[in-house]
Amino acid sequence: MSEAKMNIALDRSNKVLSLENEKIAIEVKNWNLYYGDKQALSNVNMLVPENRVTAFIGPSGCGKSTLLRCFNRMNDLIDIVSVEGKMALHGDDMYEKQMDVSALRRRVGMVFQKPNPFPKSIYENVCYGLRLQGIKDKALLDETVEWALKSAGLWEEAKDRLDDNALAMSGGQQQRLCIARAIAIKPDVLLLDEPTSALDPISTLAIEELIFELKKDFTILIVTHNMQQAARVSDYTAFMYMGELIEYSSTDNLFTNPKVKRTEDYITGRYG
Amino acid sequence: MERGQFNEHISGQLNRNLEALFNQVLEMGGLVERQLDYLLEATTCDDRSIAKKVKQLDKIVNREEMEIDRLCAMVLARQQPRASDLRLIIISIRMAVDLERIGDEAVIASKLSSRMAKQRVQCSSLPGFKGLVEIASCGVENLKRSLNAFSCLDLSEIIDIVDDQERMELVQKHALAEIQEAFEKTAHSPEHLMEMIYAVRACSRITDHVVNLTESIVYLVEGRDIRNMDTVKLSEFLDGVKE
Repeated sequence: MSEAKMNIALDRSNKVLSLENEKIAIEVKNWNLYYGDKQALSNVNMLVPENRVTAFIGPSGCGKSTLLRCFNRMNDLIDIVSVEGKMALHGDDMYEKQMDVSALRRRVGMVFQKPNPFPKSIYENVCYGLRLQGIKDKALLDETVEWALKSAGLWEEAKDRLDDNALAMSGGQQQRLCIARAIAIKPDVLLLDEPTSALDPISTLAIEELIFELKKDFTILIVTHNMQQAARVSDYTAFMYMGELIEYSSTDNLFTNPKVKRTEDYITGRYG
Repeated sequence: MERGQFNEHISGQLNRNLEALFNQVLEMGGLVERQLDYLLEATTCDDRSIAKKVKQLDKIVNREEMEIDRLCAMVLARQQPRASDLRLIIISIRMAVDLERIGDEAVIASKLSSRMAKQRVQCSSLPGFKGLVEIASCGVENLKRSLNAFSCLDLSEIIDIVDDQERMELVQKHALAEIQEAFEKTAHSPEHLMEMIYAVRACSRITDHVVNLTESIVYLVEGRDIRNMDTVKLSEFLDGVKE
């Protein structure tokens, strides 16, 4: 064995991920959220690392989707929601009064559980966000559409039918199109809210593979009910229960040696 | 950690499979324990018929290892265990390998009594005999403690096993030096002395594998991998377990 190979082998033991060694994209401090009088998130504190996939798991109603929607202020659309605490994207307070919410949502894209393409052509779906930004340069639009579809692993299937209606695509293709639409405006962060729960296993694997590729360019946060999926795709996992962040660590650690009994009970399927 | 928690899953099938796995490892451990008891008895009593039993049991032990592998593969493929359940699968595979090797080494060591009895030579007359018995006894005793610890998921009894191993290395060194000295004096047949060396080495490897079992059980209970841990960290960790 060459010395270089030996060093690589010896170095492997240090490859366990740790937040201390990460660049941080989002900082959440003492975060609380209320639906009217009812508290849905309690004192959440976490650091979301850059260019990593962070998964949120937990039983239904634990607050994981609510927390995810805080990252691009989607909860602002619900009248009775109020929040406390601090949430910062690359140091910028996301909830300060002067914050342009549309600009924030350009930096933090989102893909939902059910594919929701617009009833327009594949091409128009992908460049929709760019057109909203006022971009009219055809060459730039063409280039971005191709890049986004390639990044979403859809180019080969879609390049000859860019003018076809997006609604004619399969569910898995529609979801990848939604991801292409979200990344076309080159956000910093991509939020995925159960992106594969409506898809068949093969389309699910295609999306998971895509998530792995996309983390090179984006910080990804994913909510999933499927624990195997969280274990497969994420670098870090947060377990939530009744609005609280119970445990948050590297996915390797959380799925092999969780520190909190409630996490262990949940991920091993025990009566908690 | 308690044994009962492996029976608290919502999935009754997972409970049954993990229970079956636990029992299978303990059953295999029990068989290997009997092999070592026979080995010790055959060596100290120069009894060829008992030495034969070590070999007979080995065939069953080998089949047990395959059964544990089958059970682990089934649980992995069908139930995707996580956390302590996953650790149980990992260490069951490792323990089965170590137990099978202990069985193999017991067969090698038992050849001493078998061959000496055939030639009407008492094992106790050979140099290194005292050390051999000491190492084999330590192997038997520590295997029993390990299996008890696995059965109850209680580490308190096995934390000294690592220290025992250091002591056994010295005993082995001393026994081999005695044998080497005998070679020079030509008081014993070289063939007999070689048999003694093989037996001492095999028993020493048995104690090595028992240490591996201990490490596996620590990983199951504490989630810490103590293999190759440096002495200072290991002793800090073991002190923590004692408390």
